[in-house]
Amino acid sequence: MNPVSYLALTPEAIKILKANGCWSRSWPKVKVTKGFDPTRIAGTIFRGEVRIGSLDGEFVPRDGIRRYAGIFDANLHNVTIGNNCHISNINGWLSNLIIEDNVLMENVGSIVCQGETSFGNGHAIEVLNEGGGRELKITEMTSAQTAYLSTMYRHDAALIKALDQIAENYAVSVRSDRATIGEGAKLFHCQNIVNVNIGQGAILRGIQNLKEGTIASSHEAPTFVGDGVIAKDFIIQKGAYVSDGALLSATLIGEASKIGKQFSAENSVMFCNSEGFHSEVCSIFGGPYTVTHHRSTLLIAGMFSFFNAGSGTNQSNHMYKLGPLHQGILERGSKTGSSSYLLWPARVGAFSAIMGKHYANFDSSDFPFSYINEDDGQSTLVPGMNFFTVGTMRDGLKWPTRDRRNNSDKLDQLIFEVLSPYTGQKMMRGQALLLDLYAGAEKGQEYVSHQGILIKRLLLKTCSRYYRMALEKYLGDALVARLTANPPKELKALTTPLDGAEDGDSSWLDISGLLCTQPRLNNLLDKIKTGDVTTLHTLQIELQKIHDSYALDEWSWVLQAIPQVYDFESITSDNLKTVLEKWKVSSNKLLNMVEMDASKEFEGNVRTGFGIDGHQDEDFDTVRGKFEANSFKKQLDEMRQAVQSNYDRSLNILKNI
Amino acid sequence: MSTLDRIKNVAAELLKTDSSRIQESSRFVEDLGADSMQSIELVAAFEEEFDIEMDEDAALGVKTVGDAVGFIDKVLAQG
Repeated sequence: MNPVSYLALTPEAIKILKANGCWSRSWPKVKVTKGFDPTRIAGTIFRGEVRIGSLDGEFVPRDGIRRYAGIFDANLHNVTIGNNCHISNINGWLSNLIIEDNVLMENVGSIVCQGETSFGNGHAIEVLNEGGGRELKITEMTSAQTAYLSTMYRHDAALIKALDQIAENYAVSVRSDRATIGEGAKLFHCQNIVNVNIGQGAILRGIQNLKEGTIASSHEAPTFVGDGVIAKDFIIQKGAYVSDGALLSATLIGEASKIGKQFSAENSVMFCNSEGFHSEVCSIFGGPYTVTHHRSTLLIAGMFSFFNAGSGTNQSNHMYKLGPLHQGILERGSKTGSSSYLLWPARVGAFSAIMGKHYANFDSSDFPFSYINEDDGQSTLVPGMNFFTVGTMRDGLKWPTRDRRNNSDKLDQLIFEVLSPYTGQKMMRGQALLLDLYAGAEKGQEYVSHQGILIKRLLLKTCSRYYRMALEKYLGDALVARLTANPPKELKALTTPLDGAEDGDSSWLDISGLLCTQPRLNNLLDKIKTGDVTTLHTLQIELQKIHDSYALDEWSWVLQAIPQVYDFESITSDNLKTVLEKWKVSSNKLLNMVEMDASKEFEGNVRTGFGIDGHQDEDFDTVRGKFEANSFKKQLDEMRQAVQSNYDRSLNILKNI
Repeated sequence: MSTLDRIKNVAAELLKTDSSRIQESSRFVEDLGADSMQSIELVAAFEEEFDIEMDEDAALGVKTVGDAVGFIDKVLAQG
């Protein structure tokens, strides 16, 4: 809102206001802008300092009923109202508020600011561990990465102190005894709102109770908070949708997340593009794309990202000894089957599918893309198998297309890739481990045990080949992308790390959606600890830089991985042709296996239930269609064609180097 | 012992069934009740039994015991 000069009411204006049923104990405290039209105000009580902008605009909201700027049947106390606002039917009070221009507010209980507050910013929540010890100070600028560092790097006291201070500084910077309702916000049929900042363009409709919070919003990414929402000590970030009886307590809802249908969250964060319906979360670190849709699902004391919870998913975070101090980690891309259960502590490797009930406190982080099954009450692992399923391929394709964030100042830094140096290094480690386990196993042995979980001896070699195949696919993907994006003239240009890249042998980390090398992260941590990064804004800029370095560092990793995976002494043109050849074979194998997996949706038992009074096949074909005509099947065919054309093109480029 | 008999024995042990129930025309999934996990285990078990390496996607395309005999004999013939 631009600085405005206000004038006292003229006697004529006061006379009109009184005639319109308005009342004030002290009219001189009511000030207005030049050109003020007192006929636009009726039935309003003025208390304390009230400032009113021009009232000559109009609104046509979605219901199509034109509203004119004005104030009708309202109780105002210490309020500054911008230009062209429509405020009507305020049953309680609007108190200690800055209402920016073009706000529409209709049929509202009370919106008040009581004393100084930071509007939920700086509130410490007990994320991941109910018993405390990982308190995260949430702010409207908290990204998944910032929260990850604050939550998971507790061993680094200097870092935590600095991050807490950064969050605290932000909280102080927004601290005020006046709450703001941002430009263009619309509020309909709301009950009580206490100490809440509401961002530009936000829409609040039918909320029940909001206390101590911030609803970040912008015109490019408006936030919606709707019917029956009760929230306390909360942050809702830009573009989020929260409605239908959602209950939030000490919780951060990330950008473009969707929350509703009586979902309940306590001491939790759920970063961008998350979805929570029906179910309950307690002390979770929900990274980007944490999705739980079913009433009987509880997520507790766990870390998730790119995660989908099946119905009835449950975990326990205490073993009835010293209380709820256990935690679990499901690395990115994992999903739980219906009625699955995990007794924390446990750690699940990336892109794994968990089925059944698990009491084993296992750690499968060395084995991404795994199936985790329950076999006679024991937890068993099939490493690498989930790489070849429809689900993983579809997930990998859908996440980038389902990034609903419209704001240009996105907080969470995301690298979507399923195959990356992060999963690549795990698969290399996993492959070696599986072969070691095989070498050490007796032939009559049914299972081998690793980090608390059982792996069938028979599958050790098979699964190591799965990783090999996935690595051949990934390294070839990277080579093809590099060759075709910018065809090099000579081999050296191809095999030299890119300018500004990290060493290829650096460890890779998943900082809640951001894949990066350990040295790059360490560099940022140093900057935070030494005071080079002192604000959430500059921290965002640094995280963005790390995000932007992904492709550089990835190529360095690929260059060091190729000789290791293929046992090459060096990278020659002929060796790269081998990489290309293997890539073509593995890519086609993957597509064939995924197709076989997908075709199961059309065969045999899946037809059960179709054709209630006969005509089973006809009923199935009519409802589900033929596999050959399925869009995913067609997509796979297109991918096969792309493999061949990319192979031909890349081979040509290599031949000319 | 013939390839067929060895396949029957391996399948019977893994699928916990009597080898006499297994015919050349038996389908691993529909007739012998192999689920997707057991299908993979069968491939691994055949590999171990015959000391061969089977192409993953082609092997998973094998539907019947008879198909498996043909497939494995072919791999063995290729040396």
